[in-house]
Amino acid sequence: MTRRGIGEVVTAGFVFGLLWIAVVSVTAPLAQQEEKPGPVPRMADGHPDLSGVWWGGADIGAARGRGAARGGGARGGARGTPPPTFTSLYKPEAAAKAKTLGDKDDPTLRCTPTAFGTLNVSLYDVGAVGQIISTPRMIVMLTETYHGFRLVPTDGRPHRDDVAPSYRGDSVGRWDGDTFIVDTTNFTDNTWMSAEGRVSPHSDALHIVERYRRVDANTLEIEATVEDPQTLTAPWVVPKQTLVLAPFDRIMSINCSGIETQALMDAAAKQGK
Amino acid sequence: MKRTVRAVLVWGVLSLGIATAAWAHHSFAAAFDMNKPVTVKGTIVQVRLENPHSWFFLDVKDASGKVERWAFEAGTPSGMLRNGFKPGLIKQGVEVTIKGFHAKDPAQNMGMLRELILADGTSYGMFGSQQGPAAQ
Repeated sequence: MTRRGIGEVVTAGFVFGLLWIAVVSVTAPLAQQEEKPGPVPRMADGHPDLSGVWWGGADIGAARGRGAARGGGARGGARGTPPPTFTSLYKPEAAAKAKTLGDKDDPTLRCTPTAFGTLNVSLYDVGAVGQIISTPRMIVMLTETYHGFRLVPTDGRPHRDDVAPSYRGDSVGRWDGDTFIVDTTNFTDNTWMSAEGRVSPHSDALHIVERYRRVDANTLEIEATVEDPQTLTAPWVVPKQTLVLAPFDRIMSINCSGIETQALMDAAAKQGK
Repeated sequence: MKRTVRAVLVWGVLSLGIATAAWAHHSFAAAFDMNKPVTVKGTIVQVRLENPHSWFFLDVKDASGKVERWAFEAGTPSGMLRNGFKPGLIKQGVEVTIKGFHAKDPAQNMGMLRELILADGTSYGMFGSQQGPAAQ
């Protein structure tokens, strides 16, 4: 590059820098004003009201905005290394079993939900949106994609021993200050932890503990720890997820016709294997 | 400078590919050949906004006048509806052009929907309106 060329680049960079500073200095105060959320709403008993439709700022397929769900990065992993995932903690026998499975074995293709959630948010299950209806006695968690629900009593009662194992398990809850703790057991072993072809089988010893904290009117933080001693070498500490309140107050009910979808996809792939 | 431009272009293409793959359900690549684009023009027979994926069925007339049924797979219904697609917008009998990728099995009249175009030029992508939030 010639000296003149270098000079042009430096000048252009300087001008761009000035413009950038000007734009940031004008828009930053406005952005700060917009981002002042209200206080945490509370129920009649004084506990935080977790009610609302929660998502990461957009549905699948859309560009995610500033309120997008954020997963904690370094937590659970050594500095500079990615945090562990459920499958990275597999025992050798679990890893060997997973190697025999592929995308076409994904139970969600047949309308079976996940045991946890593809985006590491149980409230979403397969999708990217979920709804909570909060009352002092019971908190109802509704997932949009596969008609899933969890009824979580808030009084700290023990798990039921008279219900069959299920895809989404049996949940009980209790408040610890302003944090709602949900303990879920009694899963079947015929689901995966995630969808989208992410091979992630688990055992029926799966045990998930989630901590929900509404930090302001628009923000819900969820932390979770997943144990599966038959499958994992150690508990999986799920990166903290930050959800935001969606601008609508009802999720949709959408039918699932997975068997036909799987048949069509199998046909499409027939000679491509 | 050329090298920089090339690096930016490569990075852009890679980023686009990664972003698309991140939202693509259930390994579309396992069923559809991303190197085999297909365009068909026909008449809508059925639109199914259902999980796990939406499907568009249409009748396509070939050069000899023979009608064949085609099926195109699109995105999740919630993603399509929240990104600009309106239920009931594309009814039975409406003429459309669909661009996508052909099934890996060449014998199947099937594809992954990339773009659906109405006669007036309005277009919809895998997750809804091409002019909607998904396109931004």
